[in-house]
Amino acid sequence: MNLKFNKNWQLSESLVTPEKEYRSRTRRDFIKTLGFGAAGALLLPNQSSAATEGFPSKLNPNYSGKELKVTPFNYVTSYNNFYEFGMDKGDPVTNSNQGWKTDPWTVEIRGLARNTGKFDVNALVRKVGGIEQRVYRHRCVEAWSMVIPWDGFQLSKLIALAEPTADAKYITFTSFEDSKNAVGQQDSNFGWPYIEGLRLDEAQNELAFMATGVFGKPLPNQNGAPLRLVTPWKYGFKGAKSIVLIEFTQEAPLNTWQRIRSEEYGFYANVNPKVDHPRWSQGSERVIGGGVFNGRQSTLMFNGYERQVASLYKGMDLKRYY
Amino acid sequence: MNFVTRLIRSEIIFYSLLSLPALWPLYPFFTGNYTVLADPTKYLLHHFGFWACLLLVTVLSFTPLKVLFPKLFFLTALNSQRRAVGVASFVYACIHLGFQFLHESGWPTLVHDLRKPFILIGVLAFLILTLLAATSFNAAVRWLGARTWKSMHRFAYLAAFLVAIHQALGRKIFPKQVIWIFLPLLILEIVRLIYRYKKKTVSAVVLS
Repeated sequence: MNLKFNKNWQLSESLVTPEKEYRSRTRRDFIKTLGFGAAGALLLPNQSSAATEGFPSKLNPNYSGKELKVTPFNYVTSYNNFYEFGMDKGDPVTNSNQGWKTDPWTVEIRGLARNTGKFDVNALVRKVGGIEQRVYRHRCVEAWSMVIPWDGFQLSKLIALAEPTADAKYITFTSFEDSKNAVGQQDSNFGWPYIEGLRLDEAQNELAFMATGVFGKPLPNQNGAPLRLVTPWKYGFKGAKSIVLIEFTQEAPLNTWQRIRSEEYGFYANVNPKVDHPRWSQGSERVIGGGVFNGRQSTLMFNGYERQVASLYKGMDLKRYY
Repeated sequence: MNFVTRLIRSEIIFYSLLSLPALWPLYPFFTGNYTVLADPTKYLLHHFGFWACLLLVTVLSFTPLKVLFPKLFFLTALNSQRRAVGVASFVYACIHLGFQFLHESGWPTLVHDLRKPFILIGVLAFLILTLLAATSFNAAVRWLGARTWKSMHRFAYLAAFLVAIHQALGRKIFPKQVIWIFLPLLILEIVRLIYRYKKKTVSAVVLS
C-alpha cells in the first residue's frame, strides 16, 4: 500500500510542479529543463536505482501525523547539504548524478560486536526484515526545516543483528570516499571521509532510523543513497549519508563537524531552541517551501520529539553538550 | 574610444547596468529552480549582499587603477561615476539587510544577534555605508569641506575590510570567494602605495 498524502501540500505551493505532472512530461521537455539548472539533473536518465529491496513500503502510523505537512518532493531532492558533491545546496543534485554508482553497495559492520562482516545493502534490508515508511521532521543546524517521508528500518534492528559486546558504548558511521566521482572530496582540507556517531543508547532509541528511500522510492544519490542515518531529534548533519562502515566502539568518535568547528558543532547536536548557534538564533526555523514571507515557525525542543528522547539526556547540561 | 566614454557617462545606460543585478533573481524564480525556490529568502539575502560587496570593491578599485594607468581613457569616465557605483552598493546593502529581517524574523532577533561577531561586523559596515551615502550629495561636500569629506569617505576602506570579514565568517568552511573578490583590491592598493612612495622619493631627490 502506498501512502496517500494530504493533497493540500501540493496545491498550496503554486510554484511547485506536482510530481505526477513532471513525470508525465515528454522527453523533449526533460531535455529543455536540463538547461535550467539543478531541477534538470533530477531527470537525468542515468539516475541509479540505489537499494531497491523492500519497496513499496508500508507507512508506520506510529511515526506520522496529520500535523506534519510533507515538504514537496522537488525541494527535498534539490536542496541538500552533501559537501562530498559541493558546498552549495544545488550542487549535490547535479554533481551526484553524473556517473556516481550507488548500486551495488556494500556496508561493513565491524568493531565490538559478535556478528561483523561485509553486507550487500539489499541483503542487509532482507536480514532486518524489510522496510517501512516514517514521516519525520528534519531540522538543519542552519535553521531550516522540512518534513520528509523516509523509507527504511529502525537502527536498533541492525544493532540487534550485530550483537554488540558489553564494551561497545558508541556507534560510528563512516560515509563513502571516492574523490574521482565526488567532486567535493577533491578539496582535501575537509578531511574525508565524513564521520558521525551516536551513543549506543541513542542509537537504540526507537526514532533512530536507517533510510534507504524517500517518498516511497529508493533514495536519490543527492539524499545519501543507498543508506543513510536519520535522527530526527538532532540537527541534520548527524545523519551521515551513503554509509560504507558501521563500527561499534568504546570511545566516542570525533565527528567531522566537531573536528572542523568544535565551537559551532558538538557531538550531540540535539535540536535545542535555547542554545544559539554562534552566527544565528536557533529559536525559530525557516520552513522549506514556505516562500519569501510565510516561512517561519518556532523550533521545538528535540525538534518535537521530547517525549521519545528526553530521558536519554537526563541530568546533562545541554548548553555544554551541544 | 569616445563611444565607450559616452556610454559610461550616459546616466540612463550606467544606471540600468547598475540595476541589472537586482533583476537577476527573477530568472531562477521564473525558470523554477527548486534549489532557489526551496529557500528564497536565503537566496535573495546572499544575492544582494554579494552585489553590495562586489560594487563596493569595484568603486574602491577605480582610484588606484586611475593612478596606475593615468592614460587609460575609460578610467576617467568611470571615475566620474564613482558616486553612482558607491550609492548602488549602499542600495544593495539596504536590500540585503531587508532580507535579513525576513530571513531571521525581524528586529528583536537582529538586536539579539548583535552579540554575534558575524552580525555585528555586517551591521557596522552597513552603518559606515549609510553615513557615506548620506553625505554623497554635492551639498554635503560643500558643507563638510572637501578635505574633511575626503578623509571621511576613506572609511569606505574600513567598510570593505569589515565586509571581507563578514563574508569570511558567513560559512562553515572559509569561502574562497573572499579571496577572489578582495585580493585584487588589496594588490591594487599595495601597488598604489608603493607607486606613491616612489613618486615622492623621486620628487624629493629632484628638489634637493
